[in-house]
Amino acid sequence: MSNNILEIQDLTVSFDGFKALDNLNFSMRPGEMRVIIGPNGAGKTTFLDVITGKVQPTQGRVLFNGKNLRNTPEFKIARMGIGRKFQTPRVYLNLTVRDNLDLVCNRNKNVFSTLFNKPKKDDQRTVGGLLETVGLTAKANAKAALLSHGEKQRLEIGMLVAQSPELLLVDEPAAGLTDEETENVGSLLLALAESHTIIAIEHDMEFVKQIATEKVTVLHQGSVLCDGSMDEIQNDPRVIEVYLGEAPSISAEQMNMIRICASMAWADNNFAPEQLEVILTNLSQEFASSQDHQVSLQRELQNYLARKIPLEQLVPKVKNAKDKERVLRLSYEIIRSNQINSQEIVVYQNLLRLLDLPTKVVQKIEQEIEAKYSN
Amino acid sequence: MDGNKAIAISRNKQDRTKKLIEIGIVSSLVIIFAVILPIILPAFRLRLLGRFLSLAIVALGIDLIWGYTGLLSLGHGIFFGLGGYALAMHLKLQLPEGQLPDFFNLYGVKELPWFWQPFNSFPFTLIALFLIPGIVAALLGYLVFRNRIKGVYFSIITQAALLVFFNFFNGQQKLINGTNGLKTDTEKIFDIFVGSSGIQRSVYIVTVIAVVLIFYLCKWLTSGRFGRLLLAIRDDETRVRFSGYDPTGYKVLVFAVSGAIAGLAGALYTVQTGIITPSVMNVAFSIEMVIWVAVGGRGTLIGAIIGTLIVRLAQTFLSERFPEVWLFFQGALFLIVVTVLPEGLVGWWREFAWQKVRSLFGKKQVVTYPSIDQDLAVQREKQQFEDAD
Repeated sequence: MSNNILEIQDLTVSFDGFKALDNLNFSMRPGEMRVIIGPNGAGKTTFLDVITGKVQPTQGRVLFNGKNLRNTPEFKIARMGIGRKFQTPRVYLNLTVRDNLDLVCNRNKNVFSTLFNKPKKDDQRTVGGLLETVGLTAKANAKAALLSHGEKQRLEIGMLVAQSPELLLVDEPAAGLTDEETENVGSLLLALAESHTIIAIEHDMEFVKQIATEKVTVLHQGSVLCDGSMDEIQNDPRVIEVYLGEAPSISAEQMNMIRICASMAWADNNFAPEQLEVILTNLSQEFASSQDHQVSLQRELQNYLARKIPLEQLVPKVKNAKDKERVLRLSYEIIRSNQINSQEIVVYQNLLRLLDLPTKVVQKIEQEIEAKYSN
Repeated sequence: MDGNKAIAISRNKQDRTKKLIEIGIVSSLVIIFAVILPIILPAFRLRLLGRFLSLAIVALGIDLIWGYTGLLSLGHGIFFGLGGYALAMHLKLQLPEGQLPDFFNLYGVKELPWFWQPFNSFPFTLIALFLIPGIVAALLGYLVFRNRIKGVYFSIITQAALLVFFNFFNGQQKLINGTNGLKTDTEKIFDIFVGSSGIQRSVYIVTVIAVVLIFYLCKWLTSGRFGRLLLAIRDDETRVRFSGYDPTGYKVLVFAVSGAIAGLAGALYTVQTGIITPSVMNVAFSIEMVIWVAVGGRGTLIGAIIGTLIVRLAQTFLSERFPEVWLFFQGALFLIVVTVLPEGLVGWWREFAWQKVRSLFGKKQVVTYPSIDQDLAVQREKQQFEDAD
């Protein structure tokens, strides 16, 4: 527990009774690259505000390397090693790019040492290196006001690094960028992630996919909804609910099952209408609680069939033997419903290997389905 | 690499020539102001010019806090007045042992108030005339900046403080002769009357030297990392804070230095005016100080000096020629500057007129942003492209 770089316990922030953050718990190991997503108003920016000392927590505490940050002014938190990039790029427009970096590079930020000490050779070298990292060497002596939006974003990230923080907080670095610039910023972040601990807040799901190499945390209504790898997050029914705005009425196991069905049906890259029919009738009968529910469920399930996810990720989640048999029965029926082709056989063999059921059981189920279709 | 070195060397060369030109201009200006003008101008005019130059010193201080740090102070009259009173009190005390300055008798004061005592000493007065305003500015600044008061609220608070000081100095007859102020012309310094032409001429030359020294002090403060940080505070204070700097300390220091500069200016102004009254602490005068800087150009030190001299000289000229309507001309001047030249005269010259003059003499006009267009690396690249064609 104690070796977490950042530890947030029961954090609540309320503004005039509105809880921007509600009992939030969060922790992070050194060296991690964490992406935080969440719909508008989920409290993402407030989350960063609390860590950087801009907003004081109403309840709970924030520990950075084991030290409570309550009542620590922003500049001290920054000196402790937390750097923050703002949503809109905030650089000093009337200073040159080089001076922007140089100011942040300054090791001793007291008034008198800033006034009397000459900039060190080391600092100049650091600035030169940073200019190269963010790709602004050619514009080093231009005023920051003359930079494009994307260049400003990169400059600000460079300024963060110049601070040599342990923890980088990056708020929507891709906002307002072209696709190419977004990718540049993404690879810059990935390069930085090798030597820094980073929290990135993002909205743009394409960009999240690019940078989310490790864990993703989803915030919703001021608390952590869930966290996990990008794939886990995308399949989590609660996340889909938050983003699509509609609550899935099925459980996570059921969601997993429908994902397997979808992947089977997509095995030959052709989702035939017969296959859809098989999946919807079978599953809606199985999941539904009443006749009416069955109809609405069919429509909902259809939404979840669009994606093909590797079986290796899905099948291991099926734990008990009964469910495994159900998966097998359905899968076989899906491929059997139109002609079985060679691609489908490959995928089916894979499924069998993953399910690891006794041969007897497999044969029995296959025969049952065959019997149904030969009639 | 070699190319970069060549660029660095030629930059150094450019810098060196620039420095030489600057030293040439400054020293010839000093010679004109300190040697030639005292010979050709009549004593009355010279005294006027000395007063304007001491006002230029306040303008430098205001430029430091407003032009560079972005804090509009409307209360610099406080510091100006404090410096002036400090020196005037010392001059008032140049009396035979046991005598009190004459005005005390009017109000029946028999003993010198305690805070007058240290002003018997000349070295103490010299230090006090900028240290007292500096400390007052630091205290006021600390209280205001620590609570993150900025923008209009800062301006209002400084103006309110100004009113407090004005009312205090205006009302305290028994302590500092209230609204009548302290007259200095008839007092003696080094056993010579302050109003005599010898003393006046020396004070004038001291003023010229002070303008140069304060100019270089401000220049030193506003160049280098410290100066860039002031600009950074002006542009985005929150960013500064998140970069690990505490802006409060910087702002307090700059405000204190600015106040101390105003104190020195007040002292020089008082001697060359012959009297100091609480009227230097009235609201209009402090606002006028800001106008000098605006006319000359915020954020350019030379602009502060030029602005003060132009506005003041124009006032003198217009009020002599058109005693009835000169205030209208003055108003028009301010309106023109604010609407047509938002960057002030120096800003306008740098941004616009200089290029025009250059192109008149057939020099190349800068097509894009100067910093990019004149960059040697860019020029070399351009050359390569042209060679390839």
